[in-house]
Amino acid sequence: MDKIQKQTLIGMRDQLGGYAWRDAEISELVDPRLGIITGFQDLLDQLEVLRKIDLQAIPPAADIAPR
Amino acid sequence: MTVSLAFAPISELCERLRKREISATRLIDLYADRIEALSSSSKAFISLDLERARERAEAIDIEGSAGTGLGGIPYSCKDLFDVEGMATTGGSRVLADNVAKQDAEVIARLTRAGAIFIGKNNLHEFAYGATGENEIYGTPPNPYDASRLAGGSSSGSAAALGYGLCAASLGTDTGGSVRAPAALCGLVGFKPTFGRISTEGVTPYSWSLDHVGTLTRSAADAAALFENLAAESRESVPTKLDGLTIGIPETFFFERCDSEILDCVDRLMTFMRNAGARLKPVDMPSMEFTRTVSLTVQMPEALSYHNRYLEQRGDLYSRDFRAGLALGQCLLAEQYIRAKRFMETYRREMNRIFDQVDTILTPATPVIAPHIGAVDIVIDGTSEPAGNAITRYTSFFNMSGHPAITFPCGMHSAGLPIAAQLVGRHHADESLIETARLIETGYDFELPRPSLS
Repeated sequence: MDKIQKQTLIGMRDQLGGYAWRDAEISELVDPRLGIITGFQDLLDQLEVLRKIDLQAIPPAADIAPR
Repeated sequence: MTVSLAFAPISELCERLRKREISATRLIDLYADRIEALSSSSKAFISLDLERARERAEAIDIEGSAGTGLGGIPYSCKDLFDVEGMATTGGSRVLADNVAKQDAEVIARLTRAGAIFIGKNNLHEFAYGATGENEIYGTPPNPYDASRLAGGSSSGSAAALGYGLCAASLGTDTGGSVRAPAALCGLVGFKPTFGRISTEGVTPYSWSLDHVGTLTRSAADAAALFENLAAESRESVPTKLDGLTIGIPETFFFERCDSEILDCVDRLMTFMRNAGARLKPVDMPSMEFTRTVSLTVQMPEALSYHNRYLEQRGDLYSRDFRAGLALGQCLLAEQYIRAKRFMETYRREMNRIFDQVDTILTPATPVIAPHIGAVDIVIDGTSEPAGNAITRYTSFFNMSGHPAITFPCGMHSAGLPIAAQLVGRHHADESLIETARLIETGYDFELPRPSLS
């Protein structure tokens, strides 16, 4: 998986719809300078590992029924 | 009226109210005087409701119900809970004018039980963060050392109790936001089974992980609140520690932990063994990706709620929360769904463990209260953001949905409280609290009151 690029996120913002995050905020996601978000690329890398784990037919967590 | 009354548990307050040694009105006045004296240093409250509190206390005194149930017991709540006629700010500029039209379900329940609401507590903005720092309302300090954090996100709730400004407080716990500040401030923090206490009328942070919880001075007080906050259960509770099987995680929960905290929990294990409990090593689910799973659920859900305010009031959010919301925008739907499926695997794996044990014991936190302003904490040569360290042992159980309680079990040489955590089966909340109460009753440890110097 390639490293996330600022232009990709700007494309998501402009073409998929969503709140108009400032360019500086999107920059911070891909190239953290202010220390606000430091782990987005790490998060994506870990999610890619999780994507490859077969969860079979386990559904998303929902309410917890009384026993 | 003594200062010690301000630090008395609910059970003692109820007894003294029943015996007419004090009145509900005098009790409100006691806390009101302390709030006036200590509110600026504790930064515990965002807003107060003392006029209505006095009116309720007078009515309770007249009808003679003080000390019955929770009659006349003053409590506060994190400023995420709706209270009719008061602003629910979430600790943010965004909702400064957000006046509630009716009480949250849990506030209504406590009112019916006779408890008296006195005010709303400070917090990490919208519960986004475990350090409890708040640039608008200030950062509540730790009552044992004002240079250190009370912890968060229910920081004001913990400070309110720690400074002797109320008898109990309601908080919310999405990754440890009740249990961790309680642990760092020498209090009892309880989060129930997911969904067991209503979140109706509580500003959400992450619907899949949010739990309403309680901060109290004792496990007995947690039980007194819980029986009024949740529907009655037919669950039988233990009457002694003898015969209980206590699971001790073999990995993760005792790793990268302050050595004095480990020593304290070790002494607690010895006590439990001597009391007849069986300690059984348990193989917990892999914790390698749990923070990733939690974040992947949290941030899209937080964004989905706050989307209603972003267009008009986006500039009023703090910079760090906006950054978190932006991250939530950039995750894919399948990643979110997959994270929720991992949550379900955690639940199933933990339920299998609870086929073998009654409860699980861990340290509550791997660290004592960090200094205010600390960004990273180094433990065993590994650096970790302060907020992550504070909630490292608590956040997993928000995903698994199991009830958990933290309670003080020792003092660190730095003069700060140390706490342990017990985790129970789904819907065995009463048993879990009672197990903590049995420890509280039998274990030879008394927490010193903070000097508040």
